[in-house]
Amino acid sequence: MSMGLVSYGVFFLSVVLILGIVALGLNLQWGYTGLFNAGIAGFYAIGAYTHSIITTPPRADLIANMGLPWVVGIAGAMAVTALAAWIIGLATIRLRGDYLAISTFGIAVTIQLVTLNFEALTGGSQGFTGIPRPLYGMFGSPFAFNLFYFALLLAVVALVYWGLERILRSPWGRVLKAVREDETAAIALGKSAISFRLQSFVIGSTLMGLAGALYVSFIGFVSPFDFLPIVTFQIWAMVIVGGSGNNKGALLGALTVWLIWASSGVAITKLVPPAHAAQGGAIQVILIGLMLVLALLFRPRGLIGEETMVSRHADER
Amino acid sequence: MKTTLGVAAALATIALMGPAPASAQQVSCPVKIGGILPLTGSMAPITKKIAESAQLALEHINQGGGIKGCPVELVLRDDQGQPTVGVDAAKYLVEVERVPAITGTISSGVTGPIISSVTGPSKIVQISCCSTASAFTLDGRSGGYFFRTLPTSKTQAFATASEITRRGLKKTAIIYVNTDFGVDMTKFVKLALPKLGGEIVAEVPYNDNQSSYRAEVTKALAAKPESLLLIGFPKDAVTIVREWLSLGGPQQIALNNSMRVMDFVNGVGPRFLNESFGMDNAQVAGPTVDAFNQAFEAKYKTDSKGPGVHTQYDALMVLGLAMNIAKDLTGPSIKDAVRQVHAAGGAQVGTGPEEFKKAISLIKDGKPIKYFGATGPIEFDANGDVTGPALVWKIKDGEIVTDRVISIEEMQALFKKVE
Amino acid sequence: MLGQAIADGILTGAIIALGAIGVSFGLQILRFANFAHSELVTWGAYLALVFVTFAGPGTPTGPLSFGWQLIAAMVFAGVLTGVLAWVVDILVFRRLRNSDAHPLSMVFAAFGVALVMRHVVVLIWGHGSYFYTRELQIALEVLPGIRMLPDQIFILGLTFVVVAAMHLYLTYSRTGMAMRAMAESPSLARVCGVQVESVVRWTWFISGGLAAMAGVFLGLTPQLHPEMGFNLLLALFAAAILGGAGSLIGAVVGGLLVGLAENLSVLFISPGYKTAMPFLVLLLVLFFRPQGLFGEKEGSR
Repeated sequence: MSMGLVSYGVFFLSVVLILGIVALGLNLQWGYTGLFNAGIAGFYAIGAYTHSIITTPPRADLIANMGLPWVVGIAGAMAVTALAAWIIGLATIRLRGDYLAISTFGIAVTIQLVTLNFEALTGGSQGFTGIPRPLYGMFGSPFAFNLFYFALLLAVVALVYWGLERILRSPWGRVLKAVREDETAAIALGKSAISFRLQSFVIGSTLMGLAGALYVSFIGFVSPFDFLPIVTFQIWAMVIVGGSGNNKGALLGALTVWLIWASSGVAITKLVPPAHAAQGGAIQVILIGLMLVLALLFRPRGLIGEETMVSRHADER
Repeated sequence: MKTTLGVAAALATIALMGPAPASAQQVSCPVKIGGILPLTGSMAPITKKIAESAQLALEHINQGGGIKGCPVELVLRDDQGQPTVGVDAAKYLVEVERVPAITGTISSGVTGPIISSVTGPSKIVQISCCSTASAFTLDGRSGGYFFRTLPTSKTQAFATASEITRRGLKKTAIIYVNTDFGVDMTKFVKLALPKLGGEIVAEVPYNDNQSSYRAEVTKALAAKPESLLLIGFPKDAVTIVREWLSLGGPQQIALNNSMRVMDFVNGVGPRFLNESFGMDNAQVAGPTVDAFNQAFEAKYKTDSKGPGVHTQYDALMVLGLAMNIAKDLTGPSIKDAVRQVHAAGGAQVGTGPEEFKKAISLIKDGKPIKYFGATGPIEFDANGDVTGPALVWKIKDGEIVTDRVISIEEMQALFKKVE
Repeated sequence: MLGQAIADGILTGAIIALGAIGVSFGLQILRFANFAHSELVTWGAYLALVFVTFAGPGTPTGPLSFGWQLIAAMVFAGVLTGVLAWVVDILVFRRLRNSDAHPLSMVFAAFGVALVMRHVVVLIWGHGSYFYTRELQIALEVLPGIRMLPDQIFILGLTFVVVAAMHLYLTYSRTGMAMRAMAESPSLARVCGVQVESVVRWTWFISGGLAAMAGVFLGLTPQLHPEMGFNLLLALFAAAILGGAGSLIGAVVGGLLVGLAENLSVLFISPGYKTAMPFLVLLLVLFFRPQGLFGEKEGSR
């Protein structure tokens, strides 16, 4: 295997892992709780910008930069995203599914507009340059840094995965599923559905914020362009393709969808002559749309599908 | 778990050794140049001509002798107008295709992360045809590896301000697209216009892709301006100008370079644009510009007007020349060579395969060259930006015609006056 | 300036309202968020363009920039778009409805359908812009400080007439009553002998027709392009939910509120935030009335 391919592979998988964390967050909200969060890009953006503001050294044209260490940035990004999710959740969590979707979508649009218009804080449309990467100076080559970061991401994903599996198998996780399946029954059993849904919403969104912070400290640049609604669509595709209600599925979905997404452009450019690139692009999107519709019609459970067991003891009955 | 550790250990060993540097002494044929453009997605309609222009430049380079005796291959990848996709494409080009230089891309939101995460750290020269965000080239943030062949917004903004005042228009309202391009342009116009005797009475940003802009137009009109400066892109601009005129706005409308296309003129209706005028960077008349236009029209049977068409050609030609000048095909050598493409006292070379051939033989003899491209003279400043002359265009009998040219000397005088 | 902003807001709102009625019916009668509705708006506009290409927009009649041909084109497009909506239902949504798929499968399917429909427009007509008419009107000062185009006054008038007619139709016709019964409780309606499939068909047909009308009006001010409907999507949803799903009057009031919120907001804050306005109004309303302004409170779901 050529060196270049390894180097590219590490980079590619790093992006998959970051997107995988977002997908895990959505899977908690949607797959396990039934919350239709259509504002993923918004929480991702809050994490990304909070981290950028905390870690980038002060600069004359920006008001809030702090230049604090990477770890503080990550913690801050998670804390701020959690807070934002809690406030947004308080206002919206009671809404019926599709209303919640439109509301959260609207919030994500608003957040993106703030990153675009609040220039003194976010750098506006110019973007935010020079975001420090952790321990970057210690590595001699970009490849060495990427490898280190990849290992770091692997560890974070493993931790997140383990943590999610644990809480989902705990009594808390079972209540969550009960709330999703039959809210009335869950309420009758004395569980406050709203508060469980809110907790799940906040935890899931915090993971999205974490992923945003990990993304910007990997790339070193952030702009409002990174948080267009297409990001939300991609993450949803990952969870649906992988099979919602299954954390392995979410990660596998992240890999599959990102692989197809990144390579479909290559395929089109190889297959369609440049003169017809515009039509080629249209056909590409039509195929994506058709795939989505056909998958829903003929394979509604995704690649893996939901895990049937709720607790470890369920299959022992 | 054990296998994971094993793999990690193996990777760590590789990391310590580092990837083999793109070995330079022996050039292996063919030479690859990376290209990144939004071939699909919302930018695709503009990209079509830009990609064609890149193909034309590639053809000219190959017909003119290639790079260091090798044929050249352009490995073009799609960024879909999405930052993550663009970064992935760049990483692929640099690592798997091992390209020593990249041309691209259009949106600043995609170019930015490519510079910071791929071409900057890997020391790969990147020349963009179209990304305007001024932040990329400030303070050496790209490590000197990023160049662009389109003049910064500053040139166009100052020229616009001077033309507005030259026409005696005192009170101007600005409606600008809320992107790095629009924001940058507005910033520089605001700097220049008051110093030249004009006044800005309203500044209204707009977000693209909306069905109506009456609210924005109404807001701008409330300040009772004598003229409008519209900075944006053709599709939305058609809506804005039509709404502006129907709500009784004055016909004195200043436009930016993107509007110098017939789609815009016909969309609004040429008879309503008799009083309006526009700016464009460089693209001055001249033999090298004409040669490019003719070559483009002959090959693609369509005119070469449109954003990025000329600058993309130059981006690739500059790479072609620089890679011939460079002592080897490594990033640092190419970076230094880019600055020798328009050397003081060099022999003039232009566009087209014959001129490229001439340039190569001059380079072989160790003589300096001075490249005049599809956008006129291409000389990079310390930041990797080009400055150039500007031209004023207007609409006459339904056609876009050049009104006057603002020479480099005039531009420099203007820069002095404002700064 | 305030007066002008209100006038502009009402005009924008009227067009949004026409589209929002279909979304609102979709949410309540068909029970899903139809993200493909905006594409019906686009298709309506382009189908009218086909008619106009053959018949011409007509010579300007009186103060208007077009003739009877454009009205005929609108009727033509309305019928065809209604049929198109119904065909899409047969191909995709009915299958999902009849299988035991998750209700939100419909929403995702709508997403896919929207992608296909939008890009088929790109494939046929390309990315460029089209115009029904090249005329450019100068606004009349209808009230001191308020300018409107004759076309816009016409749009407002016609919208009002159509909405009023729809309201009467839904209130007094058998189909209208069946639709309202479905909106209130599908299971109850079925028990009472409402022909569900027939109601569904009419719902699609009416939604499609009104969407086409919105599309033509949108194309008249001033251009058609493949994203024209899509760019309006969120405003349509905000309006429908704001008014309360299933309510015709609600959708109209919602549309007007969204239009006004967009146009009035620029007087107070940067127009850069304009696109967020519908949502902020929506959030505010939902916070106090989770079922929307005119929506019925739902029982347990």
